[in-house]
Amino acid sequence: MHGLWTMVANDLRQRTRDKSVFIFSLIVPLSLMGVLSLVFGGLGEDTVDLQPAMVVASADDADQLGAALLGAVDSLQIMDVTIKRVPAADVRSETEASGAALGIVIPQGFSDAVLSGQAASVQLVEGNGAALETGVLISVVQGALDQFGAGTVTAAAGAMSGLPHQDLPALARQAAAGLPLLTLTEGQAAAEQLSLRGTLVAGQAGLFLMFTVGFGVLGLLAEREQGTLARLRSMPITGGTVITANACTGFILGVVATTVLLAAGSQLFGVSFGSPIVVAVLILSVATAATSLTFVVARLVRTAEQANVAQSILAMVLGIAGGAFFPVQGTGFAATLLDLNPIGAFIRGLGISAGGGSLGDVTGPVAVMLAFAAAGVVLSRVLPDRGAQV
Amino acid sequence: MSAMTAIAAVELRRFLRDRSNIFFVFIFPLMLILLLGSQFGAGSGQARVAISGPGSALAQALTAELKASGIDVTATSADAARTDLSRGRTDVGLFLDDADAEAFDAGKPAELDVVMAPQSSGQAVLQQVRTAVQSVGLERAQLAALTGAGVPGEQARPALDQAVAQVAVPTVEIVDTGGVGQEFRGLGRFDLGASQQLLLFVFLSSLTGAATLIQARRFGVVGRVMSAPVSSGQIVAGQALGRFAIAFVQGGFIMAGTALLFGVDWGSLWLSGLVLVLFCAVSAAAAMMVGSVMDNDSAASGVGVGGGLVLGGLGGCMVPPEFFPETLAAISFLTPHRWAYEALADIQRHEGTLADILPQLAVLAGMAAALLLLGAWLLRRSLNRAL
Repeated sequence: MHGLWTMVANDLRQRTRDKSVFIFSLIVPLSLMGVLSLVFGGLGEDTVDLQPAMVVASADDADQLGAALLGAVDSLQIMDVTIKRVPAADVRSETEASGAALGIVIPQGFSDAVLSGQAASVQLVEGNGAALETGVLISVVQGALDQFGAGTVTAAAGAMSGLPHQDLPALARQAAAGLPLLTLTEGQAAAEQLSLRGTLVAGQAGLFLMFTVGFGVLGLLAEREQGTLARLRSMPITGGTVITANACTGFILGVVATTVLLAAGSQLFGVSFGSPIVVAVLILSVATAATSLTFVVARLVRTAEQANVAQSILAMVLGIAGGAFFPVQGTGFAATLLDLNPIGAFIRGLGISAGGGSLGDVTGPVAVMLAFAAAGVVLSRVLPDRGAQV
Repeated sequence: MSAMTAIAAVELRRFLRDRSNIFFVFIFPLMLILLLGSQFGAGSGQARVAISGPGSALAQALTAELKASGIDVTATSADAARTDLSRGRTDVGLFLDDADAEAFDAGKPAELDVVMAPQSSGQAVLQQVRTAVQSVGLERAQLAALTGAGVPGEQARPALDQAVAQVAVPTVEIVDTGGVGQEFRGLGRFDLGASQQLLLFVFLSSLTGAATLIQARRFGVVGRVMSAPVSSGQIVAGQALGRFAIAFVQGGFIMAGTALLFGVDWGSLWLSGLVLVLFCAVSAAAAMMVGSVMDNDSAASGVGVGGGLVLGGLGGCMVPPEFFPETLAAISFLTPHRWAYEALADIQRHEGTLADILPQLAVLAGMAAALLLLGAWLLRRSLNRAL
């Protein structure tokens, strides 16, 4: 046991003196978190709430349905809407200049056209920013027009069925604005997702963990190439102890680097990952999975250089598929495959933890990571050691 | 063959013989372009709604209405819908039960349970669901109003169908202000991702290739070459040309591969090729700088990966720069990626001519020249430095 810890301490000393460990484990992921946070920042607010929006509109004051349409937009309960009235010719330019979410041009004689069943088109000018709010507002306008249309169609159907002419306006109103037959009751979904910035921090930490633990195994291969492994074997130390020492080095480096990255990331980018105990369990699990994978790599390659490339390929493929740069969605078999990815499970676990999940709630992701680790260990025992054949 | 081209040819041969390059230089970029295209490419951001519950007229009516609004609707179990919602795999879940279906069939009011995914896109999709539900409800309200006014039940439906065919209903006509949305109009599913990844990987591979220059110095290859009648200037030029050739082979492969496999439209090939040539020159010169300044090849790989990704991100290779905030957009013009991105965008989207992209080409040429001179000077200095 003493020999094991001496080797681990020696390995750790060597690694911490190597600039490349710091570059790959801390500097590159932190820089990437910063840059990704900046560039993704322009894609929208990191929140599910709708932001207040401005609507630039032109409508004839005397137009009853036009006023009703703007009233439906103005009285929207899910978001704060301000309506700015301008002449029709200015709606486009004003929408562009003011950064409004939507411009609405209600044509002259809109009510008359709708009520008489003639074609009428409301022009909507999409704003440059706030795509989310624009989408909501377009849907609201569409809903209001559907109601107007339903009234007109019902009145026409009533006329065709021989109903008295004077009853038709009331019939139209009843069809369009009567009590809705279908209403919605909104419930809450359990949040198992990180915010955009949270995903970036967790994803980069998970991706670069794969590189960091690799330094432990690379040490083993370097020792083999430099001949120190043969010398170690001449001493009263079992081969298993040498391998365990390298595994411990990779594991410790991985756990420390991931903890530092998550802590620094949450401070710098204002994200919270929830209970520290749950986060700690997730870090230990993902570091175990990543370390076991490096031993599969070590069996498959002959030189440290080959190990470097193989490790990088696995890190990038698992990291990107796990959602380190952007969320990757799949269906059917692809979804199952994505679920078995340890980096994906780590990000998902952090999402559950950030949503207030306890240890019991992260059992699924932890099981995936530990199963991956077990599979890695078994595989590394079964696979022939190509390096030993050199 | 001059000493310069001989050195460049050796560099290119070594690169092509190294099998470990195959994945990152040739396979990985194409995989990423395929993934990005399938996840984010044009036509991919479709809203998703999951409907759970028994098969009923209500479920059919809602599915038809939602599909008509361009929403991707899936029928699933309640548990699967809740899992998909919490994982962000669907935007909105509609939970129907037998009582809802019976009430709808009987023309009575029904309250439907709806759950929005905890993600920003959920809000917009929820509003679309509200509109669709209202629309389905409207049909029932129309029938109820007609029968309430005395029209016999069996006549009400045909009368409504006839009225729909004869009466024009108000519609919306959506125009945009020529902003960001218009900028990407007409682009193929993989076009944007292909130009972004082309620039990202050519620069990234060049920078990480700087490690070979350090190895050449470390193993004394450069020193031995200098013992032959070869000047340091020829070595510097040969190394730079070698790195340029490697970058161009990779860039050309990505352009040809994406055009053939994914149908990416690169616009005028000779203009896109010209942009690639100048961008490769900048990349090669940047690699010369890294390879000359640093002495540890492993650390240089780290700087290459980090620098390549960070500069690529800032230059618009991860998120289109059209979405950047103003300050970041200004900063991005410090990177060669942004200038090359602008030139390629002009060629791909607006059929830009040589005159249109001349400013971008001039900046790229200026960057390449400045970095090459600096890199050559640094490499000459590094040859005198002990490793």
